[in-house]
Parts: sequence; C-alpha cells; structure tokens
Amino acid sequence: MSDEIKSTFPATDAEPTATSSAEPLWNVLIIVLIVITLGLLFFGGVYFDRHGGWFNPKVYPPYTTLENLEAFQPKSGAEAAAAQGKKVYEAVCGICHGVDGMGKPGQAPPLAGSEWVLAKSVNRLAHIPLAGLAGAVTVEGKEWNMNMAAMGAGLSDADLSAVLTYMRTAWGNKAGEVTADDIKKIRNSLGGHPQPMSGDQLKSMPE
Amino acid sequence: MKTGFSVFLAAFVALGASWFGLVYAPLQQLGRAQQTVILHSTDVWPPQRTGDVTLGLQVYRASGCVACHTMQVRQTGMANEITLTDLKDHPATDFKEFLKSLMIAPPLDACSNGILANLDHWDGKVPVTLYSGDDGSVVAALADKLKPAGVKTVTGVLTSGPDLARGWGLRQSVAADYLYDQPVQLGNLRAGPDLSLIGIRAPDLNWHLQHLYAPRSLVKGSTMPAFRFLFELRKQVDGKSSPDALVLPPEFAPAAGLEVVPTAEARHLAAYLVSLQASAPLYEAPFTPVTAAK
Amino acid sequence: MNQSGNNTASANEIDASCRVPLLALFGGAALWLVLGLALGFAAAMSFHAPDLFAACSCLTYGHAQAAANDLLLYGFTLPAALGVVLWIFARLSQAPLALPIVPIVAANLWHLGVLIGTVAILMGDSTGHAWLEYPRESAVLLFAAFLLIAVSAVATMGFRSNRDLYPSHWFLFAALLWFAWTYSTANLFLLSAHPPRGVVQAIIGWWFANNILFVGLALLGIGIAFYFLPKFSGRPLPGTDYVLLAFLTLVFFGAWCGVPQGAPVPAWLPAVSAFAAMLSLLPVLAVTIVVWNIGRGAGVKCFGGPLCFIKFGILSFVATGFLYLISSCPSASRVLDFTWFGFGLSQWQLLGFMGMILFGAIYEILPRIMHRDLPFPRLTQASYFCFGIGVLVYVLPLMIGGVVQGIKLGDPSVPFADVGALVLLFIRASSLGQIGLLLGALCLLLNVLVLTAQWKLGLLKIVIAAVKAPLSASAGAPGSTSAGSPLSTSGEVKS
Repeated sequence: MSDEIKSTFPATDAEPTATSSAEPLWNVLIIVLIVITLGLLFFGGVYFDRHGGWFNPKVYPPYTTLENLEAFQPKSGAEAAAAQGKKVYEAVCGICHGVDGMGKPGQAPPLAGSEWVLAKSVNRLAHIPLAGLAGAVTVEGKEWNMNMAAMGAGLSDADLSAVLTYMRTAWGNKAGEVTADDIKKIRNSLGGHPQPMSGDQLKSMPE
Repeated sequence: MKTGFSVFLAAFVALGASWFGLVYAPLQQLGRAQQTVILHSTDVWPPQRTGDVTLGLQVYRASGCVACHTMQVRQTGMANEITLTDLKDHPATDFKEFLKSLMIAPPLDACSNGILANLDHWDGKVPVTLYSGDDGSVVAALADKLKPAGVKTVTGVLTSGPDLARGWGLRQSVAADYLYDQPVQLGNLRAGPDLSLIGIRAPDLNWHLQHLYAPRSLVKGSTMPAFRFLFELRKQVDGKSSPDALVLPPEFAPAAGLEVVPTAEARHLAAYLVSLQASAPLYEAPFTPVTAAK
Repeated sequence: MNQSGNNTASANEIDASCRVPLLALFGGAALWLVLGLALGFAAAMSFHAPDLFAACSCLTYGHAQAAANDLLLYGFTLPAALGVVLWIFARLSQAPLALPIVPIVAANLWHLGVLIGTVAILMGDSTGHAWLEYPRESAVLLFAAFLLIAVSAVATMGFRSNRDLYPSHWFLFAALLWFAWTYSTANLFLLSAHPPRGVVQAIIGWWFANNILFVGLALLGIGIAFYFLPKFSGRPLPGTDYVLLAFLTLVFFGAWCGVPQGAPVPAWLPAVSAFAAMLSLLPVLAVTIVVWNIGRGAGVKCFGGPLCFIKFGILSFVATGFLYLISSCPSASRVLDFTWFGFGLSQWQLLGFMGMILFGAIYEILPRIMHRDLPFPRLTQASYFCFGIGVLVYVLPLMIGGVVQGIKLGDPSVPFADVGALVLLFIRASSLGQIGLLLGALCLLLNVLVLTAQWKLGLLKIVIAAVKAPLSASAGAPGSTSAGSPLSTSGEVKS
C-alpha cells in the first residue's frame, strides 16, 4: 500500500476553485444571454396564449380556445331542427303569438302551456296552420274568438314541422317533436285550398 | 449562491413551482373527473369494464405490452364539411350554375373561390365535398340553401391526422378515455401499432389469441415476441381438438396429437384488447360518427 | 502530485474515510451495470429472433427492457453518482466523510431494493409506469437508502472549513433535493392504494421522468464534471456567472418540460412544457459556453484516462440537451414522438452522458480511496474506447431510425408493416453497440472486483498477522509492531 497516488497523468490534488470571467467579451455575452432569456419569455408567452387554451380542461390540441372547440361541435338532428324552427316561428308566427309564446290579448292566444300545443298527438294542432281557424276556441280556460289564416300553408313540410317542434319544446313546453312526414300526411289529407276549421271541427277530430 | 441555505431555497422554490404546476394543478383539474356523456346521447363514457377485461388490463401491465404499443391517438386537424350525396336527377352543370348563384350573399361570398375550386375538376359524380373548413356558418348556409333545390347533402364535423388516417382512431384520445384504467399505460414507443381502436379493427377474440401465440402467422414480418407462455400445450382427447384449442396454420401448429389451449390469462388479455374501442364522440373531441344515431 | 504539508495527510484521510461506503456503492453499481446491459441486449434480441424467449416470460421484451432501463438508472447511475457526490463533498469540505457507517448501510439497502425490484419486474410484477416499475417494497428501500446517503452528504457539506460554496455544491446539493422530492411524490401518488384516476397518472409520470432524466441527471453530471474538469486542467473553473445562470435556469425552467406535445391532456399542459423547453435552451447554452471556455487553451491530454470520459460525457450532455429540447418543439414532436428517437435519447443521457462521467469519476476516485493502483490500468483505455464507441453505435442508429420511422408514420399511405421492416435495420445495427457497452462495463467491473479482492486480501493478511503477532510475541520475538503501522495508514478497518 503506497502513499503515492498514481493517476494516468499528472494532476494536482488541490481542490478546484472557480472564478468569474474578467474578459469584457464574456460580460457582453452574459448580457446577450439575458436578452435571449427575455426574448424567449416573450415568445413563449405568446405561444402559450395562442395554444394554451387558457387552462380550460375541455380544450385539447389542436383546438386552441373554447370558442374554437364550440365551432366544431356537430349539430344533432333535433338541435338543427329546433334552431330552424325558432327562426321560422319568429318570422311567421311570433308577430301575433308573441316571440315569448304568451300570445297577445285580442290578437292571438298563448302557445306556452296551451293544451292544443301540448297534446300528445299532433293531429289537431297541425291542422290549424295548414287550414286556418275561424270562430271560438278555448285555450287554457279562456275563450278566443278570432280568425287565423292558414299561415303554415306556404311553409315546407320540414319548416312547418320544425316550427311546431319548436313550439312544443320552447317556453317550458315539454312535448314530442313533429316530423315532416306528419305534416305531409295531414297536408295531403286536406287537399288544396282547405276551408278554415272551427273549434268544434277540431275537437271532433281524432286525437 | 453563497450559502447552502440559498441553494436549498432556489432548488426548493423551483421544484415546488413545477410540482404545483404539473402535479397539483392537474390533480385538481382532472383528478376528480367523473364519467362524461357521449355527444348527442345519454350514454356515459367510458363504459364500465367487466371482470374479464379488468383482469386483462393487469395481464397487459404485467407482460410489459406498454413497451412497444401506445394507446393514445393524436389529431392534427378538424373541419366542418358539407358533402353532396345525391343530385336527384339534376344535371351537374345546372347544379354548378345554381351553386355559383348562391355565392353572392354572405357568408358564402367569402369562401366562394374555395367552394367553386372544389368543383373545378368535378366529373359530375357524387359524393363530392363542397366545403371543408373552419366556418360552420358556411356549412349551415349551404345546407339551408341547397335543401329547397332538392339535392341531398350531408354535413358533419370531420377529424384528420396521420394517426387517424391509419385507422388507429376516429378522433384524438382525451383524458376521459382513461378514467377507469389502473394503471394508465399510454406508451411512448410504436414498435407495434397503436391499440386505442384495436377492438374495432380486430374484434375477433380468436384472432387476438392466435396473434399472441404466433404473431407471424397473422402479420408477416412482425417482430412481436411470441407469448407462448400464455398458452398450454395439451394432448388432444381422442385425437380431436377441444373447442378451446387454437386453430393454427400448419407451420405454427404443434406436433400431431397436441393442441394449444389458451390459459385464463390469455383469455383475459384478449378480452381486454377487444374492449379497446375509443370510438365515441365527446364534447372535447367532437366528430360526426359515420352512422349517426337517431 | 502530492502536496507537502498537512494537506497530504488530510487528503489521504478523507479518501480513506470514503473507502468502504464508496466501494459498497461502486461495487454494486458496476455489477448492476453489467446486468442491465446484458438484459438490454437480451431485449434487443427480440428484434433479431422474436421467438427466442417465447417460452420464457422473464426475458420477453416488455420485461427485459423495463428491467434493463431501471437497472441502468437505479442500479448503476444513481448509486455511483451518490458515491461520487459523497467523495466530492468530503474533498471540498476538506473533512472526512461524516457518519461513514450511514452510507454503508444505505448502500446495502439500496442494492437490496434494486434486487427486489429487478426480480419483480422479470416475474411480471412491474407497476406499468415508465421508470417507476419497481414495486412498493423496492421503492421504499430505495428512498430510505437515498435519505440516509443524503444525510451523510449534507452533514459532510455542513462540516466544511471553507464556508464558500464551490459551484459543484449547488448542482449536487440541488440534485439531492431533486431526487428525494420527485421520487417520493411520484411513488406516493402512483403506487399508493388509491392512485389518482385517469390521465393524471401519466402526467405525474412525465413530470418524474423529465425531472430525473433531464434535470436530475444534468444536475448530477454537471456538478461532477465541473469538479473534475478544472481539477484536471489545473486552472480554476471559468465564468461562475455563466455557471450560476446555467444552474438557475436549469432548475427553474427545466423542471417544467416533459409533457409530450400530442398528449391526451388539456392543451395548457403541452403548451407549458413547450414554453419551458424554449427557455431550457439557456442552461444548455450556458454549460456549452463554460465547457468551451475550459476547453480552449487547456491542451491537457487524457490518453484514454478519466479526463477523456468526462470530456465525452459533458459533450454528450450538450448534444442530448439540444436534441431533447428540439424534440420538445411541437413541429418536431409530431414526427419524433412514439419513435425510437426518444428511446435512443434517454439511453444516450444515461450511458453517454452520466455513464461516461461516472466511469471517469470512478476510475479517478478508486485509486485514491483504495491507496493502490487499479489492477488493470490498460483496461481504462480499453473501456473508454469500447464504451464510448459502443454508446455511439448504440444510440445513433436508434435516433436516425426514429427519425425515419417518424417521417414514414406521418405518411398514412405507408403500411405499418413496411415502416417496421425499414426500422428493423437500424435496431439491429444498434445492438452491435450494446456489445461494446458490455465489454466496457466488464472492464470496469473487473477493475472494481479485483481491486476489492486485493484490498480484502490485504485486510485478511493484516488480520492473520495480528493473530500471529501475539503467538510470535509469546514465542519470544520482541514486540512485533507489524500490526500497528498498516492500521494507522488505512484508517478504519472494517472486515
């Protein structure tokens, strides 16, 4: 056991020390590094803003924001119809029945909560826009004695079914949808230029 | 850094910040996740696993399958798309003229060049994609205007990416897919294909059993190790194969009078693989499934 | 050469106090390295002859590769690095190792933990989490052993006579905290009875892997390299401001990298990691500048000795650091994720960076603590060339193959089987490198084992002489003091 320590080459056994560089070049270089740091911080921040989804747990790449994700949600059939129905309702029916479906006294009965709208079968309801309504009819306990033209005669099957579906699902109403086929059948059974129906005629129809 | 304490402080704050951001924050955000609902449906996602499948997950873990296979699919693009599917006796040239006439009103005027370019080299055959891009309102407007014209169109949200184009997934993997995995084994090497949708690409249990026993009998040139220790070599009873035995091609079949029967572990693993069907559209990973559920 | 005065005795004393703890750590580490490389080779055989281990579940790819990875990290890199840390702290403190019995116990606990863990993985009890495959029992043993070694290291650091800290102190002290915190957190969350549900497990896994393989190993490797490089060149470590910048940016920014870009997690996590990877360019740059500063004008030849290893290692750090950060960019990540590139990179970090630095450190430290030459000094050069060339032949084909694989996988018209066939050539080529690695590791193991055997034989001779001495004294020979002097120069004798 010798006290001489042999390494593969001569080296001091002193512990290393450290110095900071005295050369001006190196001081400039460190300022360059600090500037690079700030630059990277800025660009990184921009990157995070664009791609980070701002911590939203529903946003996964490649979507960048919640709005971006929303723009790519596929519309289901029922949703699309309801959107269409709302559009047509507000253009055609809402003027008299009100955008809120509450009706206007002396003009048109309410549709929200109306038993005619909420009836299980759509048979009676669909005849009203297709044929028109003349004379007295009771809605939610009140009597209404007006004339309604066949406002739905000019609408396509799809549009009218969408409007009726919208009526049956909006304003707290909860009833089933109306399909374009239903409307088609009823339209065919009425034939061209039907006469406006009366309340009793409607009541006498099967549900 | 003059004192040990200052070094400790710097390291503590640095690691503490990263612990807070990458361990604590995700734990709060995702750790208490519950089942989510499939888009436009009342079904929950992910479905609960049956016993066989749960045991199979443990066999997957124990066999180290995660060393070669990933279970995560990436997506690079998404598009709102409208496709013409039926001209319904209208000539193609008429349709093109009609489409041109629609391009004057917003929102269609902005993309008119793109839409018409799609039909530049159109041979009149359907289906043809009219528009595929970011703007959902363009798709809705086109669908609206084309409906009264009497042609049939299909709208939808499409996903794209190299992983998806290979059939490895229908949409990207999201956190909800791994809710019931214990442990979660995403993998980070694709020495073998990704397995997120393997239950749909290879729905046959027997295919999986044969693949585990003799991978090269089903995939030429595969470097997957043969997992023969998951199977038993048994004597045939009365010279006939039992219903459990694997049906193997001659080069891989055992000697005459012997049959290969999967052990319970092999069955569980196969059941687990068949259960891997990450196909449901979710809010965070939307797409229009091919057969839309009514 | 030797310093005159009380320094020499002091240095000898320090070295002697480290002898048994470091032998325990290095001996086990060398053994695990050979075993880990052998298992890695067995795993690679799966790509030459896939049916080779069809009947043996222990050696299939999934088991063998996981066991090999963990053996390289927990079996070789960490215990060897901790041994070097203890020695460096003792030397920098100019005081003998504090509480030397503690690391000896800890080393045994550690190696026991690694043994249990390796057997568990081969038997199928792996946990399924990358780099955390060891079961609970093993993890507890490793953590307890680590704490014990850390206590001894911190105590040694606390006893330093020169109260100023040398830059290596920062890196190595931070590394102790780093491993303790990340290992305990990851295991507590992932191996507990009620781990977090869902993808949070993967996030914690990525946090752990980054903080161990990138930041943790960087702290250890840079700390060790910045101790030896100035020592070999005889000049002080230049540019402490750069070193300070490197340290601070490494700990503050490096810790946030790790979440892959295409991961099934909300977008903010990969975005934060990409942001951090951009910033982590700074520590790599700063270390490059310091190393270049050391290198220019140094002109110290190393002749395949320890300095060569350390130079190779620190250059590997620069290379792997840049590659790691490039692969964290979203555009590169899209191509390189899930390919052999990441695997090759982690192997380069473990073997090319840490492995080479630890080889150099061990070859430098062993003769000093044992007070005898290496039994096979030529094997140092042999292991430099074998291990060095082996590392490059191992990792470079893997990384190139990974790039090719990534590009081909990005083209959906290329069937997966074709991609596999194309990459197979690269994988098979890389297994040649593993032979070189094994040879290099065997050289180290041989040196360590024979040195230990020689030392133990020497002790045995002392014991026999001590037993004989009273006999010869009683036979009439004047007081034989042969038992006396070896004891005083060899420090504590533990048999």
